Amino acid sequence: MAAVSFREVEKSFGATKVIHGIGFDIADGEFTVLVGPSGCGKSTLLRMLAGLEEISGGTIAIDGHVVNDIESKDRDIAMVFQSYALYPHMTVADNMGFSLRLRKADPALTKERVGHAAKILNLVPYLARYPRELSGGQRQRVAMGRAIVRDPKVFLFDEPLSNLDAKLRVAMRAEIKALHQRLKTTTVYVTHDQVEAMTMADRIVVMQDGRIEQIGTPLELYDHPANLFVAQFIGSPAMNVVTGTIRRSADDAWVDADGGGRWPLGSSASGSDGTRVAYGVRPSDLGVAAGARSIPAEVIVVEPTGAETELLVRVGTNEIVVVVHGRPSAEPGATVPLTVDPNAIHLFDPTSGQTLS
Amino acid sequence: MSRSLWRQASSEAKLLLIGIPVAIWTLLPIYHLVLFALSPRGQAVTGKLWPDHPTLDNFAVVFHQEHHYLLHFWKQLWNSVLIAVAAGAITLCIATAAAFAISRLRVRGGRTIMNLALFTYFIPAAFLAVPMYKTMGNYGLLNSQWALILAMVTIATPYAIWVLKQASDKLPLELDEAARIDGATPLQLFRLVYLPLMLPSMVAVGTYALLLAWNEYLYAFLLLSDDRSTTLGVALGSFLSADDSPWELLMATGLLYALPPAAIYYAFKRYMVSGLTAGAVKS
Amino acid sequence: MSSTLALDSAAKPGRQSAPAGPTRRKLSPWQAWGIVLIAPYVLVFAVFVLYPVAYGLWLARHPASYVHLFDDPVFVRTVVNTLVFLIIGINLKMLVALFLSGFFVRTRWWIRWLSVLFILPWAVPSIPTILSLRFMLNPEWGVINTTIFRLTGADGPNWLNNPQLALFLAILVHIWKSLPFWTLILVAGRLAIPGEMYEAASVDGATTWQKFRFITWPSLQTLYLTSSILSMIWTLGDFNSVYLLTGGGPADQTHVLATLGLRYLRLDLVDLSMATVVCALPFVLPLVYFMMKRLSR
Repeated sequence: MAAVSFREVEKSFGATKVIHGIGFDIADGEFTVLVGPSGCGKSTLLRMLAGLEEISGGTIAIDGHVVNDIESKDRDIAMVFQSYALYPHMTVADNMGFSLRLRKADPALTKERVGHAAKILNLVPYLARYPRELSGGQRQRVAMGRAIVRDPKVFLFDEPLSNLDAKLRVAMRAEIKALHQRLKTTTVYVTHDQVEAMTMADRIVVMQDGRIEQIGTPLELYDHPANLFVAQFIGSPAMNVVTGTIRRSADDAWVDADGGGRWPLGSSASGSDGTRVAYGVRPSDLGVAAGARSIPAEVIVVEPTGAETELLVRVGTNEIVVVVHGRPSAEPGATVPLTVDPNAIHLFDPTSGQTLS
Repeated sequence: MSRSLWRQASSEAKLLLIGIPVAIWTLLPIYHLVLFALSPRGQAVTGKLWPDHPTLDNFAVVFHQEHHYLLHFWKQLWNSVLIAVAAGAITLCIATAAAFAISRLRVRGGRTIMNLALFTYFIPAAFLAVPMYKTMGNYGLLNSQWALILAMVTIATPYAIWVLKQASDKLPLELDEAARIDGATPLQLFRLVYLPLMLPSMVAVGTYALLLAWNEYLYAFLLLSDDRSTTLGVALGSFLSADDSPWELLMATGLLYALPPAAIYYAFKRYMVSGLTAGAVKS
Repeated sequence: MSSTLALDSAAKPGRQSAPAGPTRRKLSPWQAWGIVLIAPYVLVFAVFVLYPVAYGLWLARHPASYVHLFDDPVFVRTVVNTLVFLIIGINLKMLVALFLSGFFVRTRWWIRWLSVLFILPWAVPSIPTILSLRFMLNPEWGVINTTIFRLTGADGPNWLNNPQLALFLAILVHIWKSLPFWTLILVAGRLAIPGEMYEAASVDGATTWQKFRFITWPSLQTLYLTSSILSMIWTLGDFNSVYLLTGGGPADQTHVLATLGLRYLRLDLVDLSMATVVCALPFVLPLVYFMMKRLSR
């Protein structure tokens, strides 16, 4: 029904190319998140989909129709902006019904659609208010209400939660997700926050410098990152990475880290003795326990967060983050043994950053 | 007297020392105007500070046009009103459209046009007066009220565009984008989103153009020479050349001429102040 | 062809729309309306600015006009008058405006009422007020001379018949009329200075003069300079103050560049009228250029 496809999409601002040949598909009803650091091109891509930026090369298609030459208003999309972009001189009801008013729709129909959207978003008591009288979260909901009234083929979100405080952000995340489950409209969501991406997406598109690094479900990206960038971008705290050399003996394999420390490798790990690698392991896959292959680490900082404890330790010259359940007895300055889950080790080529399978 | 009370009193006295001369300086010519307007004929020249028998007779004479200098008072007053309102309205229309095109539609060459407008604003109007006079002659518009209206529009529009553009630039671009995605055509964006939000600035600009046209002397004097088609201001100026001018009537007429701009300015004060100082004080 | 919203590169760094490609021929409705909406002003500009300016310059094209001009003693006198007008007028006015701006920022109720009245000279038209002043200065029955007579028994001077006095009075009239505007501007400038700076200075023990010197003046000086330059341009164009008070007299002795053009027009010497304006341009254009650099971003 309302699938979206990008084919060889490119974008240049003058002589500077910012998007390089991007191509992927979004299935109908899917919640796709574009995530990446500032300047990676995710907002630009979204805006090209919305018709707010020209497409320098390639095609974008909605529901099977190429939309390169079609104006925003005819693409049957709705967009929620980071700054909400509510019309300050109109009431909430007028804001939400504006698109219908532009098409000279029947006022009764407009009222019904607005009322329906207001009910879904708990905005009914605010319909006669003006945007300046509302809180940030309420304004965000009005912006979403405006999009819902459109009943479009695709919802576009451009970092909608960036202007909200942390607690509100968590609440709104769940609301947006619930909305999607209810309406089942294809959604493209842009954010720089990987936590939002992980919690909300059906599929995530990780971007950097105008290129796709990896596309996959949240858990795919978490468990099987295609390269160093994705590995360190997804997951919080970020994956620990040390560079070193693989060493093999008769019955053991490990990596000698450049900064010091003997990092164990699993039995399934390939790579001959002497290969240079980047060795990655997530903080939650490290433990504090004595064992045959444990690595001595000096504790620098202990950060208890209640259920878990985050430890910053030093192995040789490398600083390593460890997240453990419970409250291990560890004092700054003490030496603790680190254990590594052998199934959770990621090896990358140190120059290209690609995963070594 | 306690120390703080003394300090308060002395600082208040210092302020009054400034305030009273300022008040006298500001109001003296205007007070004098009122003085003459309220004095009976031939009495004002006696140099009294307040007339013995203040009277409104002068105004009656003016309203009944009972002096050969005042023959066309009502017509001239009407001319002033007409020209001022027309100049204000036309300036507003042209400037609002131009500011929208430059600021929101980002029309090509918009920046250049803005600079040209600014240039026109800074060049003193008095220098343009004689060329304008000859030009209106060439266009065959001399003595037509349109000459003055269009001249005033030409002078007022640059600053109007500047003020409107500044105000328009403060509106976030996302509003336009949201409206476009909602399905607005350029005209709908202009009518339903832009104009309502620009209303305060538009009031300031319209008032500015109106007052400019009402207060104008040089251009009115050059472009309109017929007593019937000229403005009240020019008529007042022509009183001067005669020896037997009825001074009290002149001042009464002058007071009538001066009242509308003062009233309008005070009515729209809050729009004017923000509008006019915005361009000058860079934040 | 997808519609374009070209974005201001200054407002959003890194966002600039790509220029129209070579195959573009049809205009999007947004571009079309842009042209339609700006056309009226372009028309007004072409017909009522471009043409008159070009025509004026064309009328002033004969070198002979300039020879005549410089031979005319009235012209020489006018240039001197204009310089005097500018130097005394601007500096006096701006200094008083600076001083009064400090007065009018205070929040006493009577000062606020006074500031409302203070605008009056600027808001009301020149003709009635300057005529009123002219009558005050009448040597026989004007209030000023009759008051002088009453106080001292001597006759007051014939104010407007004395060229120096008349010019000085014209300068005063100009200041009377334009002072409120510049005071307002400087008041706005003062209000933009954060109050905490003054509080911090008080705690540090600064006197009023020190506060002015180290806080107020550094913040205001750019505005003061810009205002002075702009005021110079507008003072050069102040026709009313001189014409309505003295008519350029006595005997053409108090003309300034703004009023001289009219004199030549009356004498049917249009080319000299234009030449006067052209002579003023070397003063005016650098100032205008300066102002435009400051204000256009």
